[in-house]
Amino acid sequence: MAVKGFNPYEMAQKQFDKVADLLQLDAASRELLRQPLREYHFSIPVQMDDGSVRVFRGFRCQHNDARGPCKGGIRFHPQETIDTVRALSMWMTWKCAVVDIPLGGGKGGVVCDPHDLSAREQERLCRGWVRAIAKDVGPLRDVPAPDVMTNPQHMLWMLDEFETVHGAKYPGFITGKPVGMGGSLGRTEATGYGLVFTLREALRELGIKVEATSASVQGFGNVAQYAIELYTKLGGKVLSVSCWDQSDQASYTYRKKTGINLKELLMITDRFGGIDKSKAEALGYERLPGEAWIEQDADILIPAALENQINAENVKKIKPGVKVVAEGANGPTTPEADEVLKQRGVFVIPDFLANAGGVTCSYFEQVQCNQNYFWPQEEVLDKLDQKMTAAFLAVYELAKTRKLFMRDAAYVISVSRVAGACKDRGWV
Amino acid sequence: MMSQQDPSKTADELFCTLHERSKELSCLYTIEEILSNFSLSLEEVFHRVIAAIPPGWQFPKICQVRIVYGSELYDSPDFVETPFVQNADIRVQDAVVGRLLVCYTEPTPEADCGPFLQGEVKLIQTIAERLGHFILHQRLRLMFEEMSGERREEAAAKKSWRIALDLLSNTDQSLFLRISRKMMNYLGWRGVSEARSLLLRHGENQDREELFGEANWPQEKTSLDRLYKLSEETFKIAAANLTDEEILGRVQKWINEDRSSDAVKVLENIYSSLNEVLDSMRRLKLLLPQGAQLSRAKADSVRVALIRRFFTDQLEYINILKKYVDLEDFFDMMGRIIFPPDSRGKLGGKSAGLFLGSRVLSQAARRAKALGTVKKPKTWYITSDGVINFLQYNNLEDVIEQKYKDIDEVRLEYPHLVQVFKNCSFPSEIVKGLSVALDDFGETPIIVRSSSLLEDRMGTAFAGKYKSLFLANQGDKKKRLDALLDAVAEVYASTFNPDAIQYRAERGLLDFHEEMGIMIQAVVGRKVGRYFFPAFAGVAFSRNEFRWSARIRREDGLLRLVPGLGTRAVDRLSDDYPVLVAPAQPSLRVNVSQEEMVRYSPRKIDVIDLENNCFTTKDIRELLREIGPEYPSLDKILSLYRDGLLKPPLGLVTDFVKEDLVVTFDGLIHSGGFMPQLVAILKTLESALGVPVDVEFAFDGQDFYLLQCRPQSQSAEEAAMEIPADLPSDSVLFTANRFVSNGRVADITHIVYIDPDRYGEIAALSDLAAVGLIVGKLNTILPRRRFILMGPGRWGSRGDIKLGVRVTYSDISNAAMLIEVARKKGHYVPDVSFGTHFFQDLVESGIRYLPLYPDDPQVQFNDQFLKSAPNILLQILPAHKKLADAVRLIDVARTTGGKTLQVLMNADREKAIAYFAGPGSTHRPAGAAGLAAGRDPNEHSRWRRRMAEQIARLCDAPRRGVAAVYLLEDAIGGLDGPDAEISLLIHFEGTAEQKKELQAWLEGWNAALTETNLFRTGLRLERLLVCRFVGREAADKKSAAAALGLPEEALFELPIVTKAPRGRKRVKSPPNS
Repeated sequence: MAVKGFNPYEMAQKQFDKVADLLQLDAASRELLRQPLREYHFSIPVQMDDGSVRVFRGFRCQHNDARGPCKGGIRFHPQETIDTVRALSMWMTWKCAVVDIPLGGGKGGVVCDPHDLSAREQERLCRGWVRAIAKDVGPLRDVPAPDVMTNPQHMLWMLDEFETVHGAKYPGFITGKPVGMGGSLGRTEATGYGLVFTLREALRELGIKVEATSASVQGFGNVAQYAIELYTKLGGKVLSVSCWDQSDQASYTYRKKTGINLKELLMITDRFGGIDKSKAEALGYERLPGEAWIEQDADILIPAALENQINAENVKKIKPGVKVVAEGANGPTTPEADEVLKQRGVFVIPDFLANAGGVTCSYFEQVQCNQNYFWPQEEVLDKLDQKMTAAFLAVYELAKTRKLFMRDAAYVISVSRVAGACKDRGWV
Repeated sequence: MMSQQDPSKTADELFCTLHERSKELSCLYTIEEILSNFSLSLEEVFHRVIAAIPPGWQFPKICQVRIVYGSELYDSPDFVETPFVQNADIRVQDAVVGRLLVCYTEPTPEADCGPFLQGEVKLIQTIAERLGHFILHQRLRLMFEEMSGERREEAAAKKSWRIALDLLSNTDQSLFLRISRKMMNYLGWRGVSEARSLLLRHGENQDREELFGEANWPQEKTSLDRLYKLSEETFKIAAANLTDEEILGRVQKWINEDRSSDAVKVLENIYSSLNEVLDSMRRLKLLLPQGAQLSRAKADSVRVALIRRFFTDQLEYINILKKYVDLEDFFDMMGRIIFPPDSRGKLGGKSAGLFLGSRVLSQAARRAKALGTVKKPKTWYITSDGVINFLQYNNLEDVIEQKYKDIDEVRLEYPHLVQVFKNCSFPSEIVKGLSVALDDFGETPIIVRSSSLLEDRMGTAFAGKYKSLFLANQGDKKKRLDALLDAVAEVYASTFNPDAIQYRAERGLLDFHEEMGIMIQAVVGRKVGRYFFPAFAGVAFSRNEFRWSARIRREDGLLRLVPGLGTRAVDRLSDDYPVLVAPAQPSLRVNVSQEEMVRYSPRKIDVIDLENNCFTTKDIRELLREIGPEYPSLDKILSLYRDGLLKPPLGLVTDFVKEDLVVTFDGLIHSGGFMPQLVAILKTLESALGVPVDVEFAFDGQDFYLLQCRPQSQSAEEAAMEIPADLPSDSVLFTANRFVSNGRVADITHIVYIDPDRYGEIAALSDLAAVGLIVGKLNTILPRRRFILMGPGRWGSRGDIKLGVRVTYSDISNAAMLIEVARKKGHYVPDVSFGTHFFQDLVESGIRYLPLYPDDPQVQFNDQFLKSAPNILLQILPAHKKLADAVRLIDVARTTGGKTLQVLMNADREKAIAYFAGPGSTHRPAGAAGLAAGRDPNEHSRWRRRMAEQIARLCDAPRRGVAAVYLLEDAIGGLDGPDAEISLLIHFEGTAEQKKELQAWLEGWNAALTETNLFRTGLRLERLLVCRFVGREAADKKSAAAALGLPEEALFELPIVTKAPRGRKRVKSPPNS
């Protein structure tokens, strides 16, 4: 790759190389895992509403399926490149492996701007994508899911087309479907709960009683809300949450030293996790600047909003009492801040592991679809607990025995599982 | 429309009045019935009318009637003359032919006019008038019957028309002469040579007479004999040249036309008062159905006269409207006009626009089915001179001079003015008129809207400067009337509101004689639970100035839709979003992902709360919980949001309490009918008016109502700008020729330029992300709406960060403009985003968007300037050295020797230009900076400096722990401009307690300064005083500056007062001042 500048594929490969070095992987395994097993590039002609025809470019990368069918989203993006799709398919392989679900990694996309397309045109595009690749995907080969600019509606159109092509019902072809149309219960809770399952295990391993801990949470969206729910149920106390205030175009931290009451906060929260500031103040919450979440006297910090939120500057503000950072968001800690946390001995549950509840639940959706039998919510969450707990313990054990940081240990364990499967199959 | 009602009357009296009114009407109705039977003899008619009159009067039992016709008397049985009498003349063609008397046989309680009610006075006149018409009609009919009936043969021998003329010359000489004259002219036009010479002769006579007149000679009156002779001659020539049928036909037609001539004369006279005009219109209204005719030219002339009379003198408007309006349309309106005595006022711009719009549409609807039915809400009007009358009545004439006062004075006085107006009383005609209007409306909510002469004139848009007020209009009549009067007073007061005056001053409209008409409209909607509102409402523009996709053309239009009252669609919203649609391409939505659709959906709804008698804004979900399925047309408006999927609500199974319902208008957009209708409406109006239009509308669940129609906003910020062609190329920053909208962005002081090449070379993800962070920081530092952002690709995109700067709306919220630069890569030019990631935020906050294609050979792109101008980023944000290559901050004035950047856009020509211009360039911005026009350019900074000094001096430094105060000589933007901040750096060494007190004290200053600034400039800033604190580490100016990451020169130390040892105060002066 001679292109200058940031390239996600190169970055993913570098990251892999680092882990491969740690694992002292052989050359063949490295070569196999550095790039996707298969790539499909195809054209999708779509009849537009005005009768003209436009041709779109579609991709599907199947990075590795040694552990099971590939799994990964489909992106609609006007400047989609094959390198992005390659990188993301590789990341999916590691993500499935870290929670030890029998799936490989894949990713797909279409170069298009949905803002330029009517709903009917999008439907034809979805169906066109499936027709182009119907023979090479499916519940036993490669299972797509929603991603950037695609949603459950797109999934249903794609499923319908797939079933038409194959002349049978295959609800397990695709995930991210609505409940009642092959979706799984517990999906909304999965990421937030999964985060707290790993947190609970971490505290146990660290010898800290949950009931004696307090936490400060950044963000009040879906992940944060369910994380707070479960954490509070386990006996923990959330001191503060921060959220975005749409009308002020600023974020605030809401604090109650005696512990926030999730129920009453949810009553005054909009769909996007924005808390009504005047009502919150009326309920006795202190309104602090958005940044303040990080400098609270809590035992646990849960960044569950955006990436790069703990950086070189504000990492210094973290109080000495903080013992655990559980990364609910994707990439909330910058590498510089990560270094500081390592030096201070803060226990970090890496995003990669901590927010894997979502992909695990997708797997459950697929399993239920394949057997055409759907579990009650408790069963889903129960199985999620088992998966997340086991995943955490495995990473933790490895980190402890090999003296690795949790983030590195998580990568090491995934790559070694995938590499092992390739070897078991006699590929390398 | 006038009535004798008094607002203070009790319900009983009111009932009584209404009862009388209905008696009068049924009496009139009976008489109309009698008079429509032409087979009756006059005598028979008189007797029947005499019998029909008493029941219409207040005391029928003692009421008697007499009709005098020529020498004949017709009486009620046992008629006796009494002093309790009223009477009216019966006229035929202006000649009194008789008289109608009504009297009571015994005394009755005193009423409006002696024993009679006002309504009865009117009634007797109307009956007399009708009798006059009937008599005339009878005479003419007889005449023609004679000609065409059994006497035809005889007539043929004697020329039938001759008989008619004979008859006419005996009964109505003046009509006879007028008809002769018309015949003479007619023959002349037909080219009959004898007639011409006759005309000439007649003309010569005239000339001579006039000559004599001028010679101061007693003018000889043309003798009637001579005129008769002339007539004789005329008809002789006619007989020789025209057929009998033709002559008869002509004569008949002219007689008919003549019947309306009096009324027409009044209408055409520009000096007639409104009262006279309306009277004449009433007469015409009665005459026309009875066969009176207007020639086409006459009808045109009357129409134009009425348009001028009621609406405007503007020729553009008259030219259009006269094509679409019938006399009937005026008749519809005339009963609902309220005016002061001797009124010569008009109805105002808004009324005119709506009248025009609805006429155009109803005419076109006959041909174009797609237009469907477009209704207009019931409307009453107060004429524009009502406000003058109101001022005179309350001795407030001085207020008119208000417009010439200084704007801050106007601003200061305005709140008091409003109170004065609201405490004034109204002349009784207006109160009565409004009272009748309220009876007409009943307890339906109404809106009182301004309709001033300046508003909505073609060519100027004066939108939103005056008030419109909603009234729930509930409860007893007195309360409702009081509220209505109050609202009218408030709208009147808004004529003098500082924003309006300032706007007029800026556009040279100050000397225009502004008058304020009022429109009182029934609010469109229906009652649901305790609320009243339309299913949805909105504003539609025939041209789309905010395209979000390259596939949308300007002429696809733009629609801003909201549930409930349209108030939320009209104004830009700071806390909510309307649904945007391009009506001709409704399937290309602004928001595509379900999350975006939900995020940018309207969350609030304006409704009228009938129980609390007020206008209110509700959370839509709360409202739905309350009224649920009762919401009108909800399947057109709402979608169900479940599991990340938006779907249509399936009527019966929707749980309005538990389900998440989102306003998407999906149903409306996909159901077919509405969008084509709207497109047809916009196209029809645009082609009729000849300019792009915008309309306000509402849909009550059943019908589409047009609420307003005017030329599409022509405000300077959104008008098509002239693109100067002769600029030297080095003063041009860029030109553009694709996806250009209309408008301008003026007086840009700073350019934030993300160099596409350098940006593309950044290798680390965190550095790419940092570019977004820098933009976000600059957004808080640079002067609001005075800087533009230029950079590669798709800003705000969540996808590949390499292809566009990753920012959210809050990172760019203060920019004036976002420019996406699409540079060629290899063989292809990447797409731009059209700002879709925060498109609706851009629209609501008025941030302009433009894509640039620098590689297009047709455009200029001054790369050299952007790359070589000094980059001041590091002076502002010294920490970002690493990225200074990629992020360039350019101080325009510093680089160009005091100039600013102007961006002018013209969508009609698909052209835009950005160029550097010196101060006082012709394209001055409106609004904020425009205020400074003609004033001391430094006045803002001077005032700010003075205030800063005051704060420092008065801060009681020792007591509050202040060691030093510095003014930040803002390196960027300075203190100038009405919206500049006062930025202080306070070296503080006190306790937490002291700091708290100091902060509270400064907060007080901030409040006072913001308020004063508002009076001075009309700008409401949230925060004018910004204070930063440094502690002991900032022992001197240098280290204080360092603490902020600023150079030392950026700080200016202000003198503070420290206590002298013996309790005397001394001023501690900074060393360098």
